[in-house]
Amino acid sequence: MAAVVKVWIDEGCITCDACEDTFPEVFHVTDDTCFIRAEARVDGGYDENRDSKSAVTSEFAAQLEIIEEAADECPVDVIIIAVETEGGEAEPAEESAAEAEEIEPTVVGEAEAPAAAEPVASAASGGLEELMQGERDLLLLIGSQSGNSEAVAADAAKAAPTYGLTARIKMMDEIAIGDLVGVRRVIIICSTWGEGDMPDTAEDLWQAASSSAAPKLPGTSFGVCSLGDTAYEFYCQSGKDWDGWFEKAGATRLLDRIDCDLDYEETSPPWIAEALAHVAAVDEAGNFHADALDDLRALAGPEESSRVAAGAAFDIPQLTQAERQATVRVFRYDPVTGESGHDVWQCALPAHMSVLETLRLLKGTQDGSLTFRDGAPDDPTTGLLVNGRLVLPGRVSISQFARGDEGALNLRIDPLPAYDVIRDLAVDHDSYQRHLAASRPWFRGATRDGAQLDQGVMGMMDAPTAANLHAAQDIASNQLLHSASDTVPHNREYIGPAVLSRLWNRSQDPRISDAGRAALLAVIQGADGVKAEADISSVNRQGRMGAVASANLYAAKRATLQEQHFTGRHGAHVWFFTQTVKLSGTLNETVLAGGTLKMGMLRNLYRGILPRMLLGFTRTGGPIMRDKQSFLIGAGIPVSIGKMPKLVNSPVEDHHEVVALYNAMDGRF
Amino acid sequence: MAKHRYAYFPGCVTSGSAREVQDAMDGIARILDIELLPLNGASCCGAGVMKQANAKLQISLNARTFAMAEAEGLDVLTPCASCQGNMVEDFVSLTDDEQLREEVNEQLEKICGLRFEGTMRMRHLLQVLVEDIGLDVLADKLLNPIDFPVAGYYGAPMQQEGACGDDDAYDPQYFEQVIEVLGGAPVEYEGRTQSVGFPSLLSEEESAMKMTAAVLTEAKKEGAKIMATACPLSHLNLDVYQVEAARVSGQDTDLPVIHLPELVAWALGHDKSRLAQLRTRVLVMGD
Repeated sequence: MAAVVKVWIDEGCITCDACEDTFPEVFHVTDDTCFIRAEARVDGGYDENRDSKSAVTSEFAAQLEIIEEAADECPVDVIIIAVETEGGEAEPAEESAAEAEEIEPTVVGEAEAPAAAEPVASAASGGLEELMQGERDLLLLIGSQSGNSEAVAADAAKAAPTYGLTARIKMMDEIAIGDLVGVRRVIIICSTWGEGDMPDTAEDLWQAASSSAAPKLPGTSFGVCSLGDTAYEFYCQSGKDWDGWFEKAGATRLLDRIDCDLDYEETSPPWIAEALAHVAAVDEAGNFHADALDDLRALAGPEESSRVAAGAAFDIPQLTQAERQATVRVFRYDPVTGESGHDVWQCALPAHMSVLETLRLLKGTQDGSLTFRDGAPDDPTTGLLVNGRLVLPGRVSISQFARGDEGALNLRIDPLPAYDVIRDLAVDHDSYQRHLAASRPWFRGATRDGAQLDQGVMGMMDAPTAANLHAAQDIASNQLLHSASDTVPHNREYIGPAVLSRLWNRSQDPRISDAGRAALLAVIQGADGVKAEADISSVNRQGRMGAVASANLYAAKRATLQEQHFTGRHGAHVWFFTQTVKLSGTLNETVLAGGTLKMGMLRNLYRGILPRMLLGFTRTGGPIMRDKQSFLIGAGIPVSIGKMPKLVNSPVEDHHEVVALYNAMDGRF
Repeated sequence: MAKHRYAYFPGCVTSGSAREVQDAMDGIARILDIELLPLNGASCCGAGVMKQANAKLQISLNARTFAMAEAEGLDVLTPCASCQGNMVEDFVSLTDDEQLREEVNEQLEKICGLRFEGTMRMRHLLQVLVEDIGLDVLADKLLNPIDFPVAGYYGAPMQQEGACGDDDAYDPQYFEQVIEVLGGAPVEYEGRTQSVGFPSLLSEEESAMKMTAAVLTEAKKEGAKIMATACPLSHLNLDVYQVEAARVSGQDTDLPVIHLPELVAWALGHDKSRLAQLRTRVLVMGD
C-alpha cells in the first residue's frame, strides 16, 4: 500500500545545516530554524510544517530513505517523520501500527521504538530506566531581585526528583560563566529589573557572558522562564537576553521561553512541569529523547502536576553552599560607657547565609547583647554598611563579600554612616525622618479630566510616563539611600538624596497641581536642597539605587541652576566651568576660581590657601621655584609657583570641533 | 615598540596645577616600557560639573575623546580617578542608550568625522599597574622602597562598578597591593573611597572641608605617615586646602599628600631627590 510521508521540524533546531546538506531539495535551513521547502510539500507551504503537518509530494515520498538519512544526521533529533498508509493508518515500522486517529510521530534514529501493540507505560518504563541511568543533574540558575525567581526555582527543585533529576539551585552571582561548560541541563529563571535591566545578582554573570571570552555550550540543553511586569516597556527583557545568549552559545533550546507577568504564580508552574519533563528527557550524553516526553509527563502524575500547578505550599528547599572560614568584625558601641570598637569573631559559616542571619547567629550563640535592626529581608530600616557597601543585610549572602572563589570571608559590619548610633549597629533614622517631614512631601494633585472605566471615573496617565515615574522611584530603602551621600554626615541641614529624590519625582508627576509643584521645588532649590550635595558621585556609586537617585539629583540640579539663571556660587561655578572648557577645550582653573569666588579670592590669601599654593610642594619636598610664571602676573590672581594653575590655556587640537559640539548641543554657552 | 600602549588622557589638572603628575607619569612610562600616545585634541571630561549644566554636552565631548582613541585602536589611560569615573559613566550611557548614541554619533560624524563604537576601554593608572603591568614587574623594578605607612586614597568617582577594573568597588585592594609591593605599609581606613567634595570646593566649601578633614584625620588615626591619592583633583582639597580643612573641622589634618604616580615613580627610581625630601619630611618633621 502506498504510504503518505509527513516530515516536520520540531522545536530546538540549532541550524547546523546537516539536513540541508543531505537533502537540499526538502530541507532549507534559515537563520533561526529549518523549513520544509514548498516544492516538497503537498500544500505548497514554506515553514517548519509543524502545525499543518502537510505530506511531502509523492516524488519525495519515494525518497524516504534520504529523508530518514537527513533525520539521522540531525544532532538534536528535531526532524520528525510520520509514515501513514493511505487508509489513515500509520504504516507499521516493524510490526504494528499507530492508532488511527492520531499520527504518532517517530523520531528517526529511534524508529525501532516499541510498537504500539505493547503497553505504552511498560514499554516506556524500560526506556526510561535507561534514560535515568548516569548523571541526572539539573542546574536551576536564578537571576533574582526580589525573591520571586527563587520561589519559582524552589517549586522546580521540589518537583525535580519526580522526574529522576537531581536539582541544584545557583544564584547567578554564585557562579562564573565558565562553570556552565559541561552542564547538560539548565533551566534559567530570571527576573527583569527597571527598564529591561538584569537583576543585581545577574549583572556580573551577564557582563561575563557578553564578553568575547564567554564559552560555547554545545552540549547544554536549556529552557528559560522569564519574570517581568508588562507595565514596563522592556517586559521580561533579561530572560529574553539569556534565551538569546544560550542559543548563540550553541546550547539547545528544549522548549519555548515563557514570559511571566505579575501573575507568575499561576502561569509558571505548568511551564515548569513541562520544562522538567523536557530536561529529564536529556540523557547522560546530552541527547534529547522526544519520544520519552509523554512517559516523563506521566511520571509526574496528575497529582504532582496539579500540586505543582497550584503552587501548593511546601517547605522551600534551602539554597546551600559549603561552609567557609569567616572573620566577622562587628562595630560595637555602648551608650552607657561611650566606648566603641569592633568585636571580632572567627567561625565557620555556610556561605549562603545572609548577613542578617549571621548577625542573628552571633547574637543567639555568642553575645546576646549584640544590637541591630532585625526584620524581613527587604525591611528598608535594616540597612548596614558591610565592607564599605550599603546593603539590606537580609538580601545579601556573606559569600558576596568573598574575594575570589576560594577566598577568605572577611566581613566588616558597621552602622550606616549618616545616622547617630543608638547601640552597636542600631541607628536612629531621625535625621532622615526629620528632613522628610519638614519637606512636606505629600502630593497635592491638580484637578484633571478623568476617564470612564468599569470601576468609575479615574485619572489616567500614559504608559511611558507612568513607567518613567515608577523607574525613577525604584529605591529599595530610603534610609539606606540617605546615607549614600558622603555629604550628609558633614552637613546636618542638608536634606539628603533620599528626600530630594522623592521630592523631585513628585514634582515631575504630571498629576500634581502648580501650587504643589512650586512648594516642592522651593525645598529642592533651597540652600539645604540639591545645591548642598557636595559630590553626587558618592551617591551614584551605590549600585542601582545610587544610579537612580543620582539621575534624579542631576536633573534637579540642572533645573535649579537654569531656573536661577546660573547665579550665586553654585551657578557661577557650573557656568564658568562649562564656559572655560569651550574657550580652549580644557578647564582653566584660574578662570574658574576667579569667576566663581571673585572677591572671595582675597579670603584665600589670609586663610593661607594662596600662600600655600604659592609655596608649592614644601610639604612633599617639591621645588619651591617651580617656574617663573609668578613673576609675570600681578597680585590677587592665582600665580604659579608650585601648585599653581596656568593663566592661559592653549587650545586643544581641532578646537573648532569642541566649539561646534557646544553650539550643536547647548547654545547657552 | 613599547610593550604597553595606551591613548593618554592626562586630565586638565595634570596639565594645569598638578604638573608634578605629568613628571611622574613620564618616569613611569619610561621605566615600565609604556607608550603614552597623547590625544592632543581631547577635551575636558566635564568632571561631573558640566553635567550639572548639560549632560548631553558632556557626553558628546567624551564620545569624541573615545572615538579618537578607537581610531588609534587603543584603550585610554588616565592618572585621574575623577576623569576615570566620569568618563566611564558617559561610556556606559552611550553604550546602553542606543538613541543617545545615534544622536551623539550624528553630530560627531558631521563635525569631527568620527564615530563612537564602544570598542575602547577607560583605564586608570592603578588598574593598568595591577592588571596589565603586574605587581611582579613593579617588584622587579623597585629601587627605592617607600618604607613607611601609606594611606591610599581612591576617592568616590572611580569606585563604582565598571570603573575600577576587576577591583572591588566598595572594598578595593589595588592601591594597597601597589603600596605593599613598593615597600610601604598600606593603611586600611574607611575614608579611602569617600568623597572629599572636590566638585563643590568653590561652592559648598564648608562641607567639602569637613569631608576632606574626615578623610585625612581617619588616615592619620590609622597610622598613616603620608597619603597618596589616585585623583589629582582631590589632591587639591587634601593638600592645598589642608589647613583650611583643619580650621573648619577643628581637627588635626596635617599629613603629607602625594599623587599615586609620584609614589610609583619615586619608588622605581625616578627623581630621587623628591623622594629623599619626602622621607625627610616624614621622618624628621613628623606630624
